[in-house]
Amino acid sequence: MYHDKKFSVVNPSKMCQPMGAVQALLGLKNAMPLIHGSQGCSTYMRFQLTRHFREPIEVASTSMNEKTVIYGGEYNLMKALKNITEKQSPSIIAVASSCLTETIGDDMAGIIRKFEDANIDRELPVIVPISTPSYTESHVEGYNRTIKALVENLVIPTAPNGKVNVITGFLSPADVGEVKNILNDLKLEGIILTDISKNLDAPLSESALNLYDGGTTVEQLEDTANSTGTIALSKHADSAGVFLEKKFGVNLISGPLPLGLENTDSFIRSACQLADLEIPESMERDRGRLMDAMVDAHSYNYHRKVAIFGDPDFVSAMTRFTSEMGMIPTVVCTGARSKRFTEDIDTISREKGCSPVTLAGGDLYDMHREIKRVRADILIGNSYGASIALEENIPLFRAGFPIFDRLGAQRISTLGYRGGIDFVDRLTNTILDFYYDEAGYEIVEEELEDVIIEDQEYAEEEM
Amino acid sequence: MEPIVETFESRKKHMCIKGEGLSIPVCDKASLPGTVTQRTCVYGGARIILMPITDSIHLVHGPIGCAACTWDIRGSKSSREDLYKKGCSTDLGEKDIVFGGEKKLYETVIELHRLYNPGAVFVYATCVAGVIGDDIKAVCKKSEEVTGCRVIPVQSEGFQNHNKTKGHWIGCDALLDHVIGTKEPEKTTPFDINVVGEFNVAGDFWGFKPLLEEMGVNIISTITGDSHVDEIAQAHRAKLNIVQCQKSSNYLVKKMEKKYGIPSIKVNFFGLEQTVNSLREIADFFGDPEMIERTEKIIEKGLQEVEHKTDEYRERLNGKTVALYVGGNKAWSLVRAFEELGMDVMMSGTKNGIREDYERIKEAVRDGTIIVDDASSTELARLLKKYRPNLLISGAKEKYISLKLGIPFCDFNHDRISAFAGFKGFVSFAKEVDASVSSPVFDLNSTSLRGD
Repeated sequence: MYHDKKFSVVNPSKMCQPMGAVQALLGLKNAMPLIHGSQGCSTYMRFQLTRHFREPIEVASTSMNEKTVIYGGEYNLMKALKNITEKQSPSIIAVASSCLTETIGDDMAGIIRKFEDANIDRELPVIVPISTPSYTESHVEGYNRTIKALVENLVIPTAPNGKVNVITGFLSPADVGEVKNILNDLKLEGIILTDISKNLDAPLSESALNLYDGGTTVEQLEDTANSTGTIALSKHADSAGVFLEKKFGVNLISGPLPLGLENTDSFIRSACQLADLEIPESMERDRGRLMDAMVDAHSYNYHRKVAIFGDPDFVSAMTRFTSEMGMIPTVVCTGARSKRFTEDIDTISREKGCSPVTLAGGDLYDMHREIKRVRADILIGNSYGASIALEENIPLFRAGFPIFDRLGAQRISTLGYRGGIDFVDRLTNTILDFYYDEAGYEIVEEELEDVIIEDQEYAEEEM
Repeated sequence: MEPIVETFESRKKHMCIKGEGLSIPVCDKASLPGTVTQRTCVYGGARIILMPITDSIHLVHGPIGCAACTWDIRGSKSSREDLYKKGCSTDLGEKDIVFGGEKKLYETVIELHRLYNPGAVFVYATCVAGVIGDDIKAVCKKSEEVTGCRVIPVQSEGFQNHNKTKGHWIGCDALLDHVIGTKEPEKTTPFDINVVGEFNVAGDFWGFKPLLEEMGVNIISTITGDSHVDEIAQAHRAKLNIVQCQKSSNYLVKKMEKKYGIPSIKVNFFGLEQTVNSLREIADFFGDPEMIERTEKIIEKGLQEVEHKTDEYRERLNGKTVALYVGGNKAWSLVRAFEELGMDVMMSGTKNGIREDYERIKEAVRDGTIIVDDASSTELARLLKKYRPNLLISGAKEKYISLKLGIPFCDFNHDRISAFAGFKGFVSFAKEVDASVSSPVFDLNSTSLRGD
């Protein structure tokens, strides 16, 4: 039933660039994201984001229509900037383009300049254009370009600040929070690009409806040129770091995403190396607890086959982490066509002695086909994996974006030693729930088959 | 006069109070650029009409985002195939934008047909497909000839209009031009009907389908909930169209009346009274004494089955107020159902209403009800804060605006979890409304840690 295919995407495992832009912009303080395009772009993105985070999500639209497509979007963009400035008075308006406005060739930077010139006597928010044509690459690149555009447009080199820039990539608020905790533990001041930790896991309060009062500030973005270094947790979002290194000599360390023992070690070492710090002894305790959790769990996880899908850095880091736990990654899939991803997987495979089927630019159809071929005992990925897990009779461990069929996507914690502990416990418990009986004995395969056969017989009798 | 809420000068006339001067708000205007509009695009409008056709592949011809954000979000249930849930895209890239995407579209249709052998392939045009000028009709025609499968163009370029109603019409046009009337039914009866504008969200259709069958009408097709494309192809032979979602589908039944002479009745299976009225109207239309008698028995039995089942809920809900802010139809079709629960609709509004929609709202609501058109998220938040209804009925994007304000919320849109139509559906409806309105979690906000 599953075949090779060449042209169609069936059940995508990627989104478009403007979505990545919005994901990044939600971590800014007092900002208004604006999509220059049709109404559907901002509305459907808000729909996906709001059902994932269970928070209100505000993204404005320039509401392009037939006339403005023919004559160009200048009128709508100018009007949008005026309306946002007057009614919301944000510190920053970040304008992401769409496939539509890229194709009709709107010069966003030019239009923004024109708006600024026309309002020279007024105090305006900072306005940043971001080119995110939906017909190239994926949301991962949209995120990358957005961080780069923010930094490029805003940096003001002054004097060294002794801080470290951390480009997080699109993580859960809990994971971004953990990055901040780690920096805190290291007594290292960071500039988080961008900091969604509070904005997208807000208390029950009316104030959640205002522009965010948490997140990365314009001043922090300006200050990134003065930092000691940049760590891009996501290799695929390191362009701002490359820019800062080339232009201002800010050292860049790109990846890996600190999931699991080795990658977290590597992040802590990088941070300490950049800031010329000794690794504090206090780190050892959490590190030891993670190893302890992995040892406690090992017998349930050993040689369990795992399939993983999602954003490229998440998938490669998770491939390493599950290998460390003794599991066997059999299928790893990301929607982005990324050479860096396949290189990462090759390295991990060599080091860990595994050989997963690697899909870079794959969709969930492709992944499902490969799972049928090489099998998996558990699937790690977003809610769109649920129907595959059901069909293959394996559990889905939900992580990534979007997660709309379970609560708590904001609080899924996988990063660092502490997030790792949480992950190991929850993953192993998922395996225990599925493959072990109520007394704690492993359900042997025959029994599982028996159950299925009985079910079938039962179903036949029913008919 | 004090404005209903503070907003842009040009937006003030988009809100009114029934019985006080203007009883119909200004509507169907482009949203203000730079606001957080709750509206979507024309593509979205077409897609929600057609997506519930379960045996079909719905292929989005455009960059990945248009499919990636919208696949399998309709909440529409199927008793048979699940092909309609797949997210299919031509994933247009830069090269395609420069050189055109027709070849890729053709190959994709051929490939999807080989993979799934669907009842039909619906091909949706997106903004970019329109701007680069791909001739989708020609590609559909060619691939239909090659595959022998229906390949149906849907000219739904997103930017075409500020109002997704246009998208509804385009979806209806695709059915009128390419599906309806292309197959003859094997047998016909004097009581053949189509159920139009019923999308089987959460299984709503199954709440009243058995009632219709028991009455003795023969359902040729549902347009489009839980349907097969071949069934819709035979819809032209119906003697009557009954229309549930009049917002999206009045256009279709009017055209069918003109083209095939099929009359239509507006029905509403939300609420007991409306369900009873709808069943009677259908029976009266056919005028068959036996059917009329059967229908009365069905009504009697249906009402009996749910008698007292909502008493507990009504006791708690009595006197509570509700605000509706929806796509269209539910802004009027739910009013009576809430009144049956003893609740008071104090506000009703739509994102995409046109004048005839607001006429219907005006008819349905009491004097003093606030009527709102195309409220942005800021305006909606202000309305909720100022008038504090006990419940908001709306969709996913509005949900957390309401909850953060401590105002209970029910999703009546794609993410609804239980079926509300018909007699038994009314009990589920009451139960779910009660679960929102009466939950103690909404009192938590009045507590405080430091006791001020």
